Amino acid sequence: MKKFLAILLSMVMVLSCVAFAETPTDVAVDPETIPDNMTATDGVYKVAFVTDLGQLKDKSFNEGTWNGVKSYAYANDLSYKYYQPANGDQATDDDRYDAMKAACDAGAEVVVCAGFAQEVALTKAATEYPNVNFVFIDGWPLGLSNVAPIAFCEEQSGYLAGYAVVKDGFTKLGFSGGGGGTNPACNRYGYGFAQGANAAAAEMGVQVELKYTWQYGATFSASPELQSMMAGWYENGTEIVFACGGSIFNSITAAASANDAYVVGVDVDQSFQSDTVVTSALKGLVAATEWAIGKHFAGEWATIGNVPTSLGATDDAVGLPTATWGLETWTVAEYETLMQSIKDGTLVIDNTNKQGDEIKTVEFSNLTVIYE
Amino acid sequence: MDWLMQAINEGTIPFLIRQTLLYAVPLMIVALAGVFSERSGIINLALEGIMIFGAFIGVLFVRLVQQWGWFEAANQAKDWMTMQGFAVLTMAVSALLGAVFAMLLAFAAINLRADQTIGGTALNLLAPALVLFLVRILVNQNVLQMDHGDSAGWFMLKESFFGFGVGRGANKTPSMGFFGQVFVNKVYPVTYVCIILFIILAILLYKTKFGLRLRACGENPQAADSLGINVFKMRYAGVGISGALAGMGGFVYAMTTANCTSSGEVAGFGFLALAVMIFGNWKPGNIAVSALLFGLFKCIAASYGSLDINGDGIYALKELGVSAHLYRLMPYLITLLVLAFTSKSSRAPKAEGIPYDKGAR
Repeated sequence: MKKFLAILLSMVMVLSCVAFAETPTDVAVDPETIPDNMTATDGVYKVAFVTDLGQLKDKSFNEGTWNGVKSYAYANDLSYKYYQPANGDQATDDDRYDAMKAACDAGAEVVVCAGFAQEVALTKAATEYPNVNFVFIDGWPLGLSNVAPIAFCEEQSGYLAGYAVVKDGFTKLGFSGGGGGTNPACNRYGYGFAQGANAAAAEMGVQVELKYTWQYGATFSASPELQSMMAGWYENGTEIVFACGGSIFNSITAAASANDAYVVGVDVDQSFQSDTVVTSALKGLVAATEWAIGKHFAGEWATIGNVPTSLGATDDAVGLPTATWGLETWTVAEYETLMQSIKDGTLVIDNTNKQGDEIKTVEFSNLTVIYE
Repeated sequence: MDWLMQAINEGTIPFLIRQTLLYAVPLMIVALAGVFSERSGIINLALEGIMIFGAFIGVLFVRLVQQWGWFEAANQAKDWMTMQGFAVLTMAVSALLGAVFAMLLAFAAINLRADQTIGGTALNLLAPALVLFLVRILVNQNVLQMDHGDSAGWFMLKESFFGFGVGRGANKTPSMGFFGQVFVNKVYPVTYVCIILFIILAILLYKTKFGLRLRACGENPQAADSLGINVFKMRYAGVGISGALAGMGGFVYAMTTANCTSSGEVAGFGFLALAVMIFGNWKPGNIAVSALLFGLFKCIAASYGSLDINGDGIYALKELGVSAHLYRLMPYLITLLVLAFTSKSSRAPKAEGIPYDKGAR
């Protein structure tokens, strides 16, 4: 009975989604305008996307990756579909595996899996479906030739953001991260942010304060508690907070907006979502995803399968958004110079994965970390 | 008194009061919703469900109005009076549909004489599922958000609207002082609308003919009926007002503490409101006090790390080194404790939960 109800409910959901889906038009190039649901006449969806924790439309990590999937498929006239593992924030490895299996059974040739948490499920699915290629975003080699791991140098864009805000005159910073201190990408962002802020402060000869927390961010969702906490920070002088983790951005901007304070966005350019965003620490999710899927369809999969790919400044995969420059005193030209020194290797940023409160043990010359 | 002035100037006390009200006001208004229903003789366990539904309706309305562009000019011009009109209009819409939703309970409990506890539970199960289903259809994700901007930007009052605290650094105009900091700056004026409504409705319940009749139906409906009061009508009125208040409370919760988003849950505020109602012994005055107490602890739990009451630069609660989880536990622990000690003197309306049967003696 329960199974029947579940099937019935999912049928209703699927049908209603189909009913509300828009038909694609030929002029669209902006990923926003490409519909999330498309209907393949033969029921085969060649390009699939399995989400990480949090919403598909989190206006951040999931959405950025999904935009890459959509753009590639749309431009090349391929069928595409997304799968959200069951049980939302409490998704288990089984739930993720089920989502991947569903994707493979629907005829996927290449499955993009977002987030480091997919490891176990991905290993199982990739072994079971050796003819399907998997892209492991934020991942590492799993010893399987049909899995292409793509990682980013988050510490570089975190560094750039931290450096930029201190150079712009902010001295009281905050960092609120998702994943509870266990997500390597968020950890690298946070550590990079601290290093960048410290470097800029040292050059300017000032002392900078950084409040650092993982509280209320474990599930990457917005909460009234996080909003209160951030309101407390802003009330006590914190000027700008790096909102590092999907939907927690909503709680932080709400507090920032109430206090006329500022926010640093993450993963994608978030300045369109709130006037409080000064800059965003970017990673080139769209480009990297398109690039990896392209390798499959161009028959060059062997060059990336099981090969660790770490995209950073040299690949133009990290940075700050120069088109929507919100900084007042630090200029784009100065940014380009700093970027160049990362590219040519004169500036090397420590990419250690500082878990949880490990940031407390780091000695900074001009930065005080207040861990909460 | 030096430390007190310090705390006021540093903004710690205004901050605490503001944040406490954010949590307390939705609780208060929804607990009053419970009172209206229970005092008329219908147990309303569906407060949570109606809140969820009301929050959804409110957010949807805001989103649609934004898409239609009705208040765009007013928002650009920082015309806060008009923006508050928009907020109140949205509250009215949520209240109306909340009342309609509550009619499901009223019909089952009054006309069909169904078990009220089960009816309420059914609504609690229905609301989140229905809301999530609709949100999924509408925006293809699990959260319904505003079309653009954020809750504070649209609905919050700021001192800068009145020319205080404008500009950066040395050019900054003076801030509003204690009164302004507590009651005007960074406040959602709907909070006051709710408080005024709370007072008016408390008077309605205790000082008017209608209130007396409503309460009579919750104590001894047979006696009320013998005096020519239509018990069915009174109970419909009770549940209707209850639904309206809970729906409105749901939207106020979503707007003030969830950045105007609806995701099929209100963090258990409906059930907390039930606890607050029992805690407050079905009396509006006590309910207001207990909601404030609960709100205060909730606020301390979330922001203990940045509270500096005596202004000496030491964050005492943080320095204690107690686990953050303990602070988060506090509001619930306090509620439990107080309930344990006061439940003896608590007295529920006598006829609540019993379907009215004209023939019973």
